[in-house]
Amino acid sequence: MDIYDVLLRDFPFLLKGLGVALVLLAALLALGFVIGLTICLIQLYGPRTRFVQWPLKVYERIFRGVPIIIMLFIFYYGLAGIFDISSFAAAILALGFRSGAYQSQIFRSAFQSIPAGQMTAARASGMTLTQAIRWILFPQAIRHAIGPWTNEFSSEIKETSLAYVIGVVELTRQAHYIITSTQGNVLTVFAVVALLYFIVNKAGNSGLYWLEARLAVPGFEKRQ
Amino acid sequence: MADVPVLRVDDIHKRYGDNEVLKGISLTLERGATKVLIGPSGSGKSTLLRCINHLNKPDRGTIELDGQRITDANIDRMRAQIGFVFQDFNLFSHLTVLDNVRICQLKVKRLSHEEATRRAHEELERVGLGDKAGAYPAELSGGQQQRVSIARALAMDPMLMLFDEPTSALDPELTGEVVKVMQQLADDGMTMLVVSHEMGFARQAADEIIFMEGGYIIEQGPPDVLFSTPAQERTRAFLNVIAEHG
Repeated sequence: MDIYDVLLRDFPFLLKGLGVALVLLAALLALGFVIGLTICLIQLYGPRTRFVQWPLKVYERIFRGVPIIIMLFIFYYGLAGIFDISSFAAAILALGFRSGAYQSQIFRSAFQSIPAGQMTAARASGMTLTQAIRWILFPQAIRHAIGPWTNEFSSEIKETSLAYVIGVVELTRQAHYIITSTQGNVLTVFAVVALLYFIVNKAGNSGLYWLEARLAVPGFEKRQ
Repeated sequence: MADVPVLRVDDIHKRYGDNEVLKGISLTLERGATKVLIGPSGSGKSTLLRCINHLNKPDRGTIELDGQRITDANIDRMRAQIGFVFQDFNLFSHLTVLDNVRICQLKVKRLSHEEATRRAHEELERVGLGDKAGAYPAELSGGQQQRVSIARALAMDPMLMLFDEPTSALDPELTGEVVKVMQQLADDGMTMLVVSHEMGFARQAADEIIFMEGGYIIEQGPPDVLFSTPAQERTRAFLNVIAEHG
């Protein structure tokens, strides 16, 4: 059996690994979205007291400052001692918390790029702070954020492969199984895996560009 | 109830750090009156306007709208009844002209979609932009944007309109269309407090001119009196400067 037959035979396993990677990606991005948006809104419109702002700053610094592989180990081996969590859950938490730190920055600059007068005008018309954020700022911030968020998507699809180190059976680990069972063919197998990552990345980017173009209104055109 | 003024400002003080911008301002605005605030830049005119609807919170003094004191607790409800027109328009860039005029009716006054749409079209007609309902702010000239922002404020059925230098950000050839709309509003009996250096508008539309300097009201009176025979030397000096450069 040559490597192509093996690849053909084991392709369902690669697809299964890809599926795991995609679920991990969706979960970590969703978690990061919620955390990132919350942090950004508190930083921009929340109480200015150090008691509130300082922990957010520390959170952001830590998750942007520590290598993700260390975070994965801490979440898996560290937390597993306290809570009974799977390697998959640990990967979602470690990657999601870090993505939250990055996404908070994306959203912060998106919100900050909206002229301050629009918030003032919304409040002057009797909108509450929450209404002004919901109806005036958020729809604009999302449009500004899609571009940088596309970068975040691209980095994170690649970072899911690191979940390999704590034993999540995602695409990279499935590839490793094939390589181990056939003793070799590293280049061929990883070339196929690289192609799969690339296709997902490209598809995701295209989808996000489409969304950006779809939501564009005069004054918000970004891409030529 | 006929003698309750729409707006009563009583002894307003506002300070930024060491700089006291308003040093005890009092004024009243009767229903249907138009008053124009003039004065050198830094005299506190815009700050006063922003204190009235608590965009900047006064340090001391009271503001009453139609006899009711404005407080932190009722501020959103009060603001909904005070139209505010900004120097740089501040239209919502992601919304069409129609939605700019509709959104606060829908979200703040909770009018029905039909009612809000009807009111929006009415006010856009009034400012001469009935044909621009589907346009986005970025597609409009400054003068058109300012007229949309006036329509946005009017659609809330305010009992008072505040204008903060509404023509200062406009090219000279565009100020006319905005002034015309304001003039029409004044004639229609809207209660208006206007910060402006449009002396033509002040002369024609104002019931009273208020001259401010250094955080105080120096002098106030009907335009024909104040412009021709100001009682205060400082008022005279300011009017001379305006006459030379305006």
